[in-house]
Amino acid sequence: MKFTTITKWELKETLKSRKFLTIFILQISVLFLMLFVFNAFITNIESQEGISITPSLSGFASLSVDDEGRLFSKYINPELITVTHASFDDSMKNLNSGKTMAVVLVPADSLDKIRNIDTIEVKLYLDQADPKRSVVRDEVNNTAKILAITLSNSWIDSLTPQNSTPAVVTEENTGESLPMQIVTKVMLAILLFLPLFLFGNMIIDSVVGEKERKTGEILMAMPINSSDIIIGKSMAVVGVIALQVAIWMGILLITGFEIPNPLLVYLLVIITAVPVIGVTVIIAAYSKNYKEAGIGLTFGYVAIVGILMIPPLIYITNKSLISNISPLTMVIRLFSGDLIPAWHFLIPLGFVIMVSAITYWISIKLFQRDDVVFGPRPGLIRLILEFGGLKRRGG
Amino acid sequence: MDDDLMIEIESLSKSFGKIKALDNLNLDIKRGELLGIIGPNGAGKTTAIRITCCILKPDSGDVLVDGMSIHQEQIKIKSMIGYLPEEPNLYERFKARDLLSYFAELYGVPKGEIDSRIEELLELVNMSHRAEDRINTFSKGLRQRVGIARALVHDPQILIFDEPTMGLDPATAHNIREFIRELKGDKTIILCTHYMDEADSLCDRVAILNQGRIMDMGTPQDLKSNIRGDLILNIKVKNPGGDVVKAIEGFSTVEDVEVADNQYTISLKSKNDIKDIINVFEGNILSVNTKEPTLEDVFINSFKQ
Repeated sequence: MKFTTITKWELKETLKSRKFLTIFILQISVLFLMLFVFNAFITNIESQEGISITPSLSGFASLSVDDEGRLFSKYINPELITVTHASFDDSMKNLNSGKTMAVVLVPADSLDKIRNIDTIEVKLYLDQADPKRSVVRDEVNNTAKILAITLSNSWIDSLTPQNSTPAVVTEENTGESLPMQIVTKVMLAILLFLPLFLFGNMIIDSVVGEKERKTGEILMAMPINSSDIIIGKSMAVVGVIALQVAIWMGILLITGFEIPNPLLVYLLVIITAVPVIGVTVIIAAYSKNYKEAGIGLTFGYVAIVGILMIPPLIYITNKSLISNISPLTMVIRLFSGDLIPAWHFLIPLGFVIMVSAITYWISIKLFQRDDVVFGPRPGLIRLILEFGGLKRRGG
Repeated sequence: MDDDLMIEIESLSKSFGKIKALDNLNLDIKRGELLGIIGPNGAGKTTAIRITCCILKPDSGDVLVDGMSIHQEQIKIKSMIGYLPEEPNLYERFKARDLLSYFAELYGVPKGEIDSRIEELLELVNMSHRAEDRINTFSKGLRQRVGIARALVHDPQILIFDEPTMGLDPATAHNIREFIRELKGDKTIILCTHYMDEADSLCDRVAILNQGRIMDMGTPQDLKSNIRGDLILNIKVKNPGGDVVKAIEGFSTVEDVEVADNQYTISLKSKNDIKDIINVFEGNILSVNTKEPTLEDVFINSFKQ
């Protein structure tokens, strides 16, 4: 059990490091920032106005309108086009001087023509030199269509008997809207898994650092097994992740987020950290230096995110049992208030144990090989063949 | 197995890719002996040491430490050895005391003994005043001292020092040599060094290693007397040349003559002919001195052969 000594000292020295504490606090600050964005997002959704995720187009184009009856101009989208009312002559002067991009002339007798069910001829004058003219043309055409439909409906309504009572449909909302569900369940679950990917550099520094600083030579001369070194260092990082996740969950609970069954959620997140660190240790154990480890880490984490994220998407679409393989699916299900049979938890647990066993076994085997630690390092394909028993070491 | 032997290196071979670092190396080290290993860079000294410390695995052969094989009893062997590599390679962010505590725990020193042991060692390497300072504030000499304390933290029976005085100032190097001298007899020590005078003054026996093989081995005195006689005569002349070399080689006590620039280096079996040899130069002499062979001469001679 010498790995506990390594874990204890790694944790002790890490938590004493000012650089680490700065990063740790910065990560918590990022969480606060994310919560702020979350709150703004939720407030917008709850205000029933919705939120625009595209950049604002307000004032994108300008239009001068000669429309005495204000018939046309009230249907134009004001968020896209700035409308100014002016006489036809003034409007044309504005067009020629470049103050407006287009002019719309609505006939003065348009209201009378509508009452008589006559056609109205609206004229549009465009500045051909302006590249945004097509937007104005489309908007004016759309407005004309909306206006035509509205007037037609109004005319049809006037023909229906007055004594009929229109059906009244009232809308009662139950449960959360889909966007709210995405925010409170999926995004919150992802947020809790985020710290798993924030401490890869710590294990890289801990393992690759032993090679780069040549302290590994001393460590390997200690009366301990390679497994003690690998597991000891990994558990220190899992410990830091556990601390970070606990702080994040505490903050989320204090700020009013609902986390059902927080202990179970916490355990699911922490057990996921074990294979994630296992993959990181493989990368670290094989890498010659930080640069190589950094590149490996990018690929490794993309793969892990995929393995974590794809099963929940499968679950959302067809509630397949296999999708429970990802602990993230289980956390999302817990957040959704699903009644989860106890044996369903064995699926992610089994997967985590299996991946952990494989990754730590590979890491330990790599760290036991003096050619991997001290060089000349064998190529990846050769290593795979040797692990698979298809090639003999040194052969 | 000989009970008197602490380390037995048997037919040890190790290659790194196409480079053969050790080639069927055989070497015995007695209990309480201080064995020096000298050799040029790449001779295989560090590889032999690393295999003995169970850091590297040999391609073939075995090392028996107190009768235990490195293939079977790695943990037990490791706990018997205190290893100081060429660079002390210490954890920079640790304080000196914490570093020693960490390694004491890893070596399995009983908890109740750790503090007193560390105090004792810090005193021994004269580092008590810097115990609470971080390693990254230390000079190379101070790091080496902490490294020695670390190697001794579990009171090992065997100490292996790889170039312990390399790159140190003369005063610090002298202190470390004195320290090793104090440990002599009590512990079995392997000392790898490039400094011949260090090996000469400290070691009970010296092994000369080259290309992964032992080229010569014995006590420093034996090694020195085995080469080119017991005495070396250096004669500096005004004008070298003529038949002087032939004339000198005619003396029965002369073993070897070397000429470099205007200096003649003559190896003699005895002092008997010195006067007559000097007379050969007939007033052409600038200076004359004699010296006994050093390990450096042994080393150079080994490579010539």
